[in-house]
Amino acid sequence: MRKLYRNIAIVTTIFLLALSVMLGVSYYQMQQVSPLETGVMETLKELNDTNSDNEALQQQIRELDLLSRKAYFVKEGQLKMGFYLLLGMALVLVVCLNLYYRETKNLPEKDFDPIDDWMTKSRARKYLGWAAAVVALIGVGFVVVQQIDWSNMFNKEILAEVQDEGESLEVNNESSEGSGEKVDTLATDSVKGEEVDSAEVDDMPELKIASRAFRGNNSGATSAARGIATSWNLSGKKNILWQSSIPKHGYNSPVITGRNVFITGADAKARELYCYDVWTGELKWTVKADGIAGSPSSMPKVNADTGLAASTVATNGEEVCAIFATGDVICADMEGKRLWAKNIGVPDNHYGYASSLLMYGNTLIIQYQNNSNAQILALNTKNGNTAWSKKSNDKIAWSSPIIATLGGKSALVVMGNPAITAYNLGNGSELWRVECMSGEVGSSPASAGGVVFGASEYAKCVAIDGATGETLWEASDYLPECSSLAATKDLVFCATSYGMVCAYDAKTGEVKKEHDLTTPFYSSPVVVDGKVYLFSNSGKVYIFSASTFDLITSFETGEKTFATPAFTDGMMIVRTDKSLYCVKK
Amino acid sequence: MRKIFTILLGILYSFNALAVARFPKPDFTSGYQYPDIVHGAPNELFWNILDVVLLIGMMGLVVWAAYKKRGRAIILSMSLVSVLYFGFFRSGCVCSVGSIQNVVTAAVDPNYHLPWYVLLVFLLPIVFALLFGRVFCSGVCPLGALQELINVRNFRLSRAVSATLSMIPWIYLAFTILYAATRSQFLICRLDPFIGIFRLGGDLGVMSFGIMLLVMSIFIGRPFCQFLCPYGALLSVFSALSWKKLEITDKGCINCALCGVSCPVDAIRAPQNSRTKEERWRGVKRIILFAILLPILTVAGSVLVGTQSDALSLAHKDVYLYELLQRQEANPELDEPLEVETFHALGGDIEELKAKVDDIRGDYQFYAYLIGALIGFVIGFKLLKLSLKRGRKTYEIDMARCTMCGKCFNYCPQNQPTRRAISSRTSITSKNNIPDK
Amino acid sequence: MSEEKLKSPMDRRNFLRTCSSFVAGGVALASGGLLAAKASAKEGDVFWQIDPYKCTQCGRCETDCVLTVSAVKCFHANRVCGYCDLCGGYYRPNVKELNTAAENMMCPTGAITREFVEEPYFEYTINEELCTGCGKCVKGCTSFGNGSLFLQIDQDKCQQCNECAIAKVCPSDAIQRVPNDHAYKLKDHA
Repeated sequence: MRKLYRNIAIVTTIFLLALSVMLGVSYYQMQQVSPLETGVMETLKELNDTNSDNEALQQQIRELDLLSRKAYFVKEGQLKMGFYLLLGMALVLVVCLNLYYRETKNLPEKDFDPIDDWMTKSRARKYLGWAAAVVALIGVGFVVVQQIDWSNMFNKEILAEVQDEGESLEVNNESSEGSGEKVDTLATDSVKGEEVDSAEVDDMPELKIASRAFRGNNSGATSAARGIATSWNLSGKKNILWQSSIPKHGYNSPVITGRNVFITGADAKARELYCYDVWTGELKWTVKADGIAGSPSSMPKVNADTGLAASTVATNGEEVCAIFATGDVICADMEGKRLWAKNIGVPDNHYGYASSLLMYGNTLIIQYQNNSNAQILALNTKNGNTAWSKKSNDKIAWSSPIIATLGGKSALVVMGNPAITAYNLGNGSELWRVECMSGEVGSSPASAGGVVFGASEYAKCVAIDGATGETLWEASDYLPECSSLAATKDLVFCATSYGMVCAYDAKTGEVKKEHDLTTPFYSSPVVVDGKVYLFSNSGKVYIFSASTFDLITSFETGEKTFATPAFTDGMMIVRTDKSLYCVKK
Repeated sequence: MRKIFTILLGILYSFNALAVARFPKPDFTSGYQYPDIVHGAPNELFWNILDVVLLIGMMGLVVWAAYKKRGRAIILSMSLVSVLYFGFFRSGCVCSVGSIQNVVTAAVDPNYHLPWYVLLVFLLPIVFALLFGRVFCSGVCPLGALQELINVRNFRLSRAVSATLSMIPWIYLAFTILYAATRSQFLICRLDPFIGIFRLGGDLGVMSFGIMLLVMSIFIGRPFCQFLCPYGALLSVFSALSWKKLEITDKGCINCALCGVSCPVDAIRAPQNSRTKEERWRGVKRIILFAILLPILTVAGSVLVGTQSDALSLAHKDVYLYELLQRQEANPELDEPLEVETFHALGGDIEELKAKVDDIRGDYQFYAYLIGALIGFVIGFKLLKLSLKRGRKTYEIDMARCTMCGKCFNYCPQNQPTRRAISSRTSITSKNNIPDK
Repeated sequence: MSEEKLKSPMDRRNFLRTCSSFVAGGVALASGGLLAAKASAKEGDVFWQIDPYKCTQCGRCETDCVLTVSAVKCFHANRVCGYCDLCGGYYRPNVKELNTAAENMMCPTGAITREFVEEPYFEYTINEELCTGCGKCVKGCTSFGNGSLFLQIDQDKCQQCNECAIAKVCPSDAIQRVPNDHAYKLKDHA
């Protein structure tokens, strides 16, 4: 009989092991793949939204949907059954084991050795003492470890992880569960655009760092990109990934999100928004600002240089909006479909409207400060409806708004004539207003460490406490005309149009370092990777240290540059008066 | 996905703020009536009352079975009932082990609602422990019952190892109190290894740990009860002081030594004298040393844990959110975590949050020092206890460890006078092991 | 004589033990009494509920419930519903054709169905057996519709855990315990 029980027990154990492994894997799968939420499905559905009437695609989606739903419910039932089966088996095993061991009891050993109580206790004391000591040491270790400043190391790790995640996500998407191989390839091919294009671009890792407005995200004049080249040569193609021509002229700066680089150009014939591929420089699509109600039939008078496309576009990763000197605002999605367009009124602007756009979530901010009808507009990026607007009696300005963290919250900061004003992003209510500007305000503000900095050539340079609106310091050593400020917690960088560049102390306003470079600057400095990149109008690049403002290197590029460069993972996109090029080591 | 969420969240927020329906109420002309949907009713109080009644009943039954009848069969059937009712039917929640958290929270927070049945479920086993020993552990606690039913063959752990490992329940208890008193989380609920089995679903990691424990409990007696259960730690204190001490037989121990190795949790103490003779003054010196060490250890424990209070406070949701916000502010280029996005989208005030966080951190400081002292004290006390000499004349049960499973009853020949000797392998008349005078 | 000697340490120990028992008993009863006073002062039972106005439809209700199929379901407040043809919770945004094809539906399990009432009104119902609590329809309804769909904990399925696992990770702290008489937090007003 005993043999029988033993055999049953062994068989049951094997069965149990196999079943538990299966169930465990099944359960894990069900939990991990958030049910029915396969990335492939979402991508396909989104694709369908844009390319409608693709019968094959729709059929595919329906089949996949049915399969995944079936799989989900069947799996649910299976798991439940499996669990009950597991319990039943476990019961059988335990009963068998019990019956097998029934007759045998725990018997004392033959020559019964008296338990040495004292020995046991001494040993116990020793073990306990050592264990407690080890745990205490670990505790002390924790205290010590906490003193070390991990913040910098941690940041690097996060960014590295973030990039790794991007790559592995890419890999996962391509090998995720679905109904077959062909589905995956169709998805990754079509995501790029209408035609199935060159396949090697699909191997590129996803770019995590975006530059979503003029001078980077939130117009902050800083970028988290790393590994940007510090020398390149256009004619010799050294460190140049690609260089493309731009159909029409414009002073606006490139904007990068994901794989897309957006830029606009305009002339009397047409106003256009272009999208280039960040890896190849190929012009993927163009969206025109035409057929818009209220658009003027004849172009407003603007400076030839300023042109009709002086404002930089803004994006939130889903929509991209552009504005032109005609007052036309257009919005397109990442695939080049124009979502909406409207005319907000032809700006009464003697040089040409130049304020760049800014986006916060699904709100588009427009600093519309001209000779008449000055206001700050917030439009809904989904449909162009006005979310809020704030009229003011401010005079004309060519500055662009920024989003700064004031008192821990994100807020809109607008520099105009005569004041720098902070607004609530949600409803446009005014947080504070400091009258400190005058004349023609062309430079945009900057913010770091909760302090707002603004400067203009015909006024002064001020630092305002973001939370209270109190002026911290004023300086007038070197003031910019067109180039905007860039700031870190310690220094404020300023490039003028008479050749001087300087770094103010962010706390006191005292000039810490200056360079006389005798060449005008319209492009704005950007702080990236511990360095400050600055382009002069002639196209000479100056790279400074962001901590000391020492000049690290400078060289000619040969093409006039008025726009500010944009940065992404390891790459910099520069727009010159002739072309758009990408610098990559 | 995240981007869509942010955008929609903004819209949602504005919608909530306006609270106006976008589409007007329909004007039905065909006589359509709104359907009346009835939703499932919540748990009735009846089940909670039944829980308490069964608790008392089963514990009473175990007392009778252990003290009067000395029958393991009854205790085993109690285990089965407990696993089926308290475990699978009631899904093992709210259990006495977890009730510690509720009670601690209620003691600290005047606004916390403590249901009376949870309080009873906490107190009754303690009261019974004070009177009769760890009756709750034997067949009534579903966690213990599960291990009990599966236990087949016991391999004994060295007493030194089990003494060291038995500190873990106290550390577990200390941290439970810390996290419950600061309203951070219910640690026991989070790490309960068996609830996934009772509920047929749950966190995969914890469930795997539970299954591992169950597999262990086939060969080692009650690993969770001995080395993990925080409530068991509490009960062992009260049980050690119990009014009635359990004896293996009521007919008097004859020192036959057969029960010695029978206990799965190693709670039977033999009356042997120690082989190692030690001079008395050495022993006294050691006792004095540990007595002095006791307050030192308490303070050391208190300081060690107390200084970590800031790091520990990250377990609290608000503190964690605050840290995330700080990190996001310092590195705006990083992807915003969901909590930060929601916080901003719902118009959170970081100053208000900071005030809350400061309060919480203050709480943490106080309780961390407290529980550190508790851990230090317990370790010191155990060391002291291990230095004391205890003489015994017969085989006795250590009430602090005994979970009243009743296995030892069947080993004792005094309990089965009509049966023959269990086996001829061991002679009952082996060395008479009465301590020397 | 030796017995007497043995007696005194035993007695001392017993005495200490008895004292400690009384102290322990006293502590237990006292704390029990104190807490009982607190306990009896409160109302009846409390249950986990989501505040539909705080919920941000983050999707964690679906994945974080301890049960394999979440106890959170989508409820429909018919009296708030607009009964629209182009329902934000039924169809995906930017939907081309208003049919029940998979690429046009919002719900991944097909739990939301509709019935024509009269022109131009449709009645929408949720099949709770199929609903997984993912919140996609709720998000769609709140963004583009009246917000009559909302996520709520179904007390039939909810285990009333001591600490709700979803409550711990809810980013807007929308899950709270409510007393029996407010058993369900519903969106009832129009």
